[in-house]
This record gives sequence, structure tokens and C-alpha cells, in this order.
Amino acid sequence: MDAKDLRQIIEQVLCEMNITGDSGQTGSLTSAVQSALGKSSTVVEEGFIPDITENDIKTQYLVDNPRYGDAFLEIKMRAPARLGIGKAGARYKTLPQLQFRAAHSAAQDACFHDIDLDYVTDKLGLFYVQTECENKDIYLTRPDLGRKLTAEAQKTLREKCKKNPTVQLVVSDGLSSSAVIANAADLLPAIVQGLASFKIDVGTTFFVKYGRVGVMDEISELLGADVTCILVGERPGLITAESLSAYFAYKATVGMPEARRNVVSNIHKAGTSPAEAGAHIAEMIKVMLDKKASGTDLKF
Amino acid sequence: MHEVILSVGIDIGTTTTQLVFSRLTIENLASSYTVPRISIVKKEIIYKSPIYFTPLTSPVEIDASAVKKIVELEYAAADIKPDQVQTGAVIITGETARKQNANLVLSALSKMAGDFVVATAGPDLESVLSARGAGADLLSTEHRTVVANLDVGGGTTNIAVFERGGLRGTCCLDIGGRLIRIKDGRIDYIFPGIARLASRNGLELRLGSQADLHQLRHLSSLMADQLAMALHVLQADETHPFLYTNQGHPLPEQPLIQAVTYSGGVADYVYQQATGDWYRYGDIGILLGQAIQDQPQLSRLKRFIPAETIRATVVGAGSHTTEISGSTIAYVEHCLPMKNIPILKVTEADETDLDRLAASIATQLPLYMPEGKPEPVAIAFTGRGRSGFSEIQSLAKAIIQGAKEVIEHRHPLIIVVENDIGKALGHAIRVLLGKPKDVICIDSIRTLSGDYIDIGLPIADGRVVPVVIKTLIFNT
Repeated sequence: MDAKDLRQIIEQVLCEMNITGDSGQTGSLTSAVQSALGKSSTVVEEGFIPDITENDIKTQYLVDNPRYGDAFLEIKMRAPARLGIGKAGARYKTLPQLQFRAAHSAAQDACFHDIDLDYVTDKLGLFYVQTECENKDIYLTRPDLGRKLTAEAQKTLREKCKKNPTVQLVVSDGLSSSAVIANAADLLPAIVQGLASFKIDVGTTFFVKYGRVGVMDEISELLGADVTCILVGERPGLITAESLSAYFAYKATVGMPEARRNVVSNIHKAGTSPAEAGAHIAEMIKVMLDKKASGTDLKF
Repeated sequence: MHEVILSVGIDIGTTTTQLVFSRLTIENLASSYTVPRISIVKKEIIYKSPIYFTPLTSPVEIDASAVKKIVELEYAAADIKPDQVQTGAVIITGETARKQNANLVLSALSKMAGDFVVATAGPDLESVLSARGAGADLLSTEHRTVVANLDVGGGTTNIAVFERGGLRGTCCLDIGGRLIRIKDGRIDYIFPGIARLASRNGLELRLGSQADLHQLRHLSSLMADQLAMALHVLQADETHPFLYTNQGHPLPEQPLIQAVTYSGGVADYVYQQATGDWYRYGDIGILLGQAIQDQPQLSRLKRFIPAETIRATVVGAGSHTTEISGSTIAYVEHCLPMKNIPILKVTEADETDLDRLAASIATQLPLYMPEGKPEPVAIAFTGRGRSGFSEIQSLAKAIIQGAKEVIEHRHPLIIVVENDIGKALGHAIRVLLGKPKDVICIDSIRTLSGDYIDIGLPIADGRVVPVVIKTLIFNT
């Protein structure tokens, strides 16, 4: 539609509304239409809209006219927290509001999205089995099923895995598939290398879809491992959705007290770096094997 | 978890010799669900020796056996045996550092004092130690400002500047209380640099002449002016550049100094009004202290009370020389402790490319092999931006390639890296080597080219090692 057509339509509408179209009015109408069209015509700009998730909230301080802004910023550097972000009336400012929603969305994505199994097989080089959870909804509502392997999974593990390994490693999506994608490729080889440097033998590593921490107990019994270690995505938060934990125990059994487990949590790029955490976990596993104990029975 | 280590500090200065014992408390600050984070959480002085005059056999020679006797006496008085001490530092400071037999004295002491770590101080390190002992770093943090500590001793004034806890600069000037000595009312000694300062300002000082209070007051105020110039609060005159010890460097002009603390033997007379005999110490220390107190530009700066005055350096040596490595490191215990290992530093530019990193290690190694024989050497770099597993593998490969000569020899391969990748890197090197070789790989330690490092026995259940970084001996 060009300007002429538009003008005709408007004139027609004005006529129907019984507004007389004398020449003066029509002139001003024309210019009004033209200026309106001029403004709405598409302008292509180069560049990108800034990615609000790139902002580091440790260095963000948005209070207007602060008395001790520098001091506040120094305190903020110590821990990520949504403090000192100003306000607009009684509400958040636009940027923190959007950042908060972005963080919340990332947390939801991490939790609700199924992991890309191609990544598991191709990038991590692992085969996978599933717990008795058929889908995410069941996984989230039935924690007990997340600790049990399907009969098929048990069969697969019996066929494919080395029996009675010194250390059995398992990776699982848990509550954050993003955590596995972000860290497993650095963490897993670091643990394996650390164990190799102590000449400790590692079984056949695999992936468990819809797994809870407790699934390691069944795996430990099934394969007869001395130490079983599961790398599992943590419940995502608003600071990071990519945090991974390693739970490990000496001769884990189904129904054992939780106190027999050890954990190294907060493995992500802004927490403990995955490669260094892996080296640390390998050494903790070595101590576990030396002392034949884990959890509160073991003093590191 | 909570562990205590005993540290000793021995300071042999131009004028005085002192000793302190301190207790350093080490604790894991991380929760048991995460990777440990072990730090020194408390530093307490548990014993302070009396202040001795430094025994000299001649104006340029320290009496090593007399110093040794003092130290032995103080160990006994504190009821501490040398083998109880895990770390610490012996430093020879001030004008004494230029004495001919300083190294001899150090080695005599290190042999006697058991297994503890021995360090020697250049003027830069001394400036930092005395400022830490005086608490200038903490004051700058607490008051969020820029604090300079002036450690005014017998032979030199050591200055260190801290901005909100971070070190910003050091310098050392030949300004001190004993650069002119008075005996029986007559001038007994004049330091050449001070004689020059006096004559340029029209003051006639002659050895053996009657000490003239008016004249010496004038000289002291000229010396105080030089300190104001060093802090950039007074325009430097033409004499100023010649007063830096060993032709050293001045302080950077930024950041602007807001506040000062004074430590050292002269400091007590900066903070209080003197009465009685001006020459009671046989020098112009009291006059210099009073002149600093009255110096107009220095008076305009905020003056904080230091935690220590005359003992600042020895407290710094005893409590502030030891660092703790990162809490995830790799080492073999039978190699430790190791002392006086020179640092082979790969520059940050060379680090950006792994081939250059390997080449830099390989070309520098011969410099650390006097007579062509390999000696222990610590290879140091930042490791910044190499935290991923595969990056650590390529880094390990480059190190193995560059440090071939070390690997083939019996000495351990020692790596000191700033980035927290020590344990992963140590494992990677061990696995890639595929043969038995002692590897020590510690992290979270910053070093400079020309530094030496001491690595102590592991503490905190073997998680960390105490480390002392020593800057170049005597800055010559």
C-alpha cells in the first residue's frame, strides 16, 4: 500500500464520518500520513541487542547517587547477590527485572529440558540407560523411581560394564541437564586422569537418564564396585543453572544411611573449576580406597 | 579443622637485632561439601626478644658469632627448640645489608636454627615487611584509603604504599637516625650521602667537631623534607634522586598518599615529644623523629598509629613472610622441604602461545645450571585462561617438552602457577610422563623473575604447603 492508497482510504473514512474534506484539511492530512509513514518505515541497524545474561551481577551496582558506591561494589565482589540494584518507585528497575526473569528461565530450562542424548554418546562417549521414570514429569514427581533402574537398564549394564571395578563412574542429568553439558567434558576426564596417576582402575562409565543421587547405590550393588561416584546436575538456582555435584561412597548399598556419602558440590565455572575439582575428587577417592570407608566414617 | 604453625622472625638491622616468635593459625574456610579453601586466619606474636644493638666487628662487618649467640639465647628464653619452628625468616636489613659478610651471617644462622626457612631481604621486601608489621595494609583496608608506611631506621627509610590493602609501591632512601653518630658531644660518623645533602644546603659538618644542636636540627629537617619529596607531597629538589638506596627507584606518583604510619626506631619520636638528652642514643634519631613530626607537608597527611614501631620489621618477618599454597595441589612429600630454589619465570607474553612457553623454559634452563649441571629450579607462570581439561593437557605437554632437561635429571620437576589448576596440572604431567618422576605442582602463588622460593612440609592434613617467596638478595 502506498501513500496515495492510504490517503484515499482515510479520506473515505472521514467522508463516511461526515467530516468535510476541504482542501486545507486534506493538505494537513496528507502531511500527517506521510510523516507517519516515514516514521514507521523499516530501518535496518547493524549490531546486536546486548545479552543481559552476560552481565556479572557481582560487578553490577545500580543505585542512583550513592554515598558509598565504591565500598558497596567491593562488598558485592565477594559473592553474587542481587543487592544494590536500585529501584524504580517501589519496583525493580527494568534491567534487573529482565535479568531475574532470564535467570529464572535458564533455571527452568535446565530443569525441564531433556538432555541431548547425542551429546552424551558423541561428545562424552558414553552409552546410556534410564531409570524407571518414563518422562520428566514422573521424574520430578516420583523421586523414588529416579533411584531405580529399569529391568532393561540392569540387563544392559550387566552386559556392557566391567564387573567389580575399583571405581565406577556414572553421569546423570539429575535436576539440571545444563550442568552436565557445561561441566562433564572437563570433570570426567580429570577424575579419570587423576585416578590413572594413582594407578587406580576405572570401570565402564555410562550415563543414566532421569537419575537421582540414590541410583548410585543400585549401580554399586549391581556391578560390585569398591567406590561408586555419580556426577549429577544440581537443582538450578538464580545464580547458576550449571552447577554439578559429585556424590561418592565406599561400597554403597541400597538403603544405606546418607551419612555414608561424600559430596563435592558447586562445580561450575564460577565455583570450583571442573578440571581442578576432578583432580580433587580423584584424590578423595584414593583416600576412600586406602581407608575403606566414606562419609562421616572417613576423616579427610 | 584448625592447625597452628610456629614461625620465627629474626631481623638484623643497621642498629638493632631482634627476634620474635609468632603463631599462625590455619583453617579450612570452606564447608565440607566443597573443595577446601585453607587460609591463615590468625597471626599472634607469642614472644618478643629485647632489642639488642647489632654486634659489629668493624663498621662494615657483622659479628656473626655474637649474632648467633643472641639468637641461641633468645630461643632458650622463649623455651623453643629449633626443630619446633616450621617457618619464618631471617633478614638482614638497612645499611647492614651492604655489609660485606651478610651472606656469611645468614648461612651461619640457617645452619644453627634447625629446619626453618631462611630469607634475606632486599630493600623492597623490607619495605613491605615493615609496613605489614606496622599494620599499614590493614589500615588502608579499614579506612579505604592510601596509606604509606615509613620505616625510619638507623641507616635507611623503607617506604611501602598500600591502597585498600593492595601494595602499590615501595622505595628505600638513605635517611636514618644513625647516619650521623655523636660520641662525647662530638660528631663521630657522617654517612657520605648525608654529608652531600648538608653541603649542598650550605651546612658545614666536620668529623670530630662539636655537635651543634641548631645545625643538626636544620639537617634533620632537610632529611624530613626528603621524605616528603619521596611521598610526592613536596617538589623534589636536585639532591633527592641521589638519596635512593643503591640508586633505587622512587615511588610511583599514583595513587596519591592520603595517610601515613611511621615505624622503625625513629618512629617513637615522631609520635611523641622528646625530652632530656637529644643525643642519648649517640645519634640524631630523636632529632630526626621530631623533624618529621614538624615537617609541614607530612603533617598535612593523616597520621595513623602503627601496630608496631621499632619491631615492625621483625614482626613482618615473623608473621607476614609465610604464604599458604592453594588447597588443591600435587606434590611428593619425600622431596620437601626445599629451600632457596630459583624461579624460572615464563613471561605473560610467552605464555600466550604454548610453543613459545616450551621454548622459553628450554632457553632459560641453562641459566639455572651453573657449570652445566642441573640444579633445582621452579618453573613459574600464571596459567591464566587455561582452566579447561584439554587446555591443561596441552599445557602439561608444553611443559614436558620445555623442561626435558629437568625431567631427565634426578631433581624434581617443580611448577609454581598462579591460576588454581595445580592439582589437575600435576596429575596431567604425571600421567603424560608415564614414568616415575617426582612432580611438585603448587598453585595460587604469585612470583616474579629473580625470586627464590622455599616450599615447606605439607600441613593441614597434607592439603597445603607453606611457601616463602624471597625477592632478590640485597638488590645489587
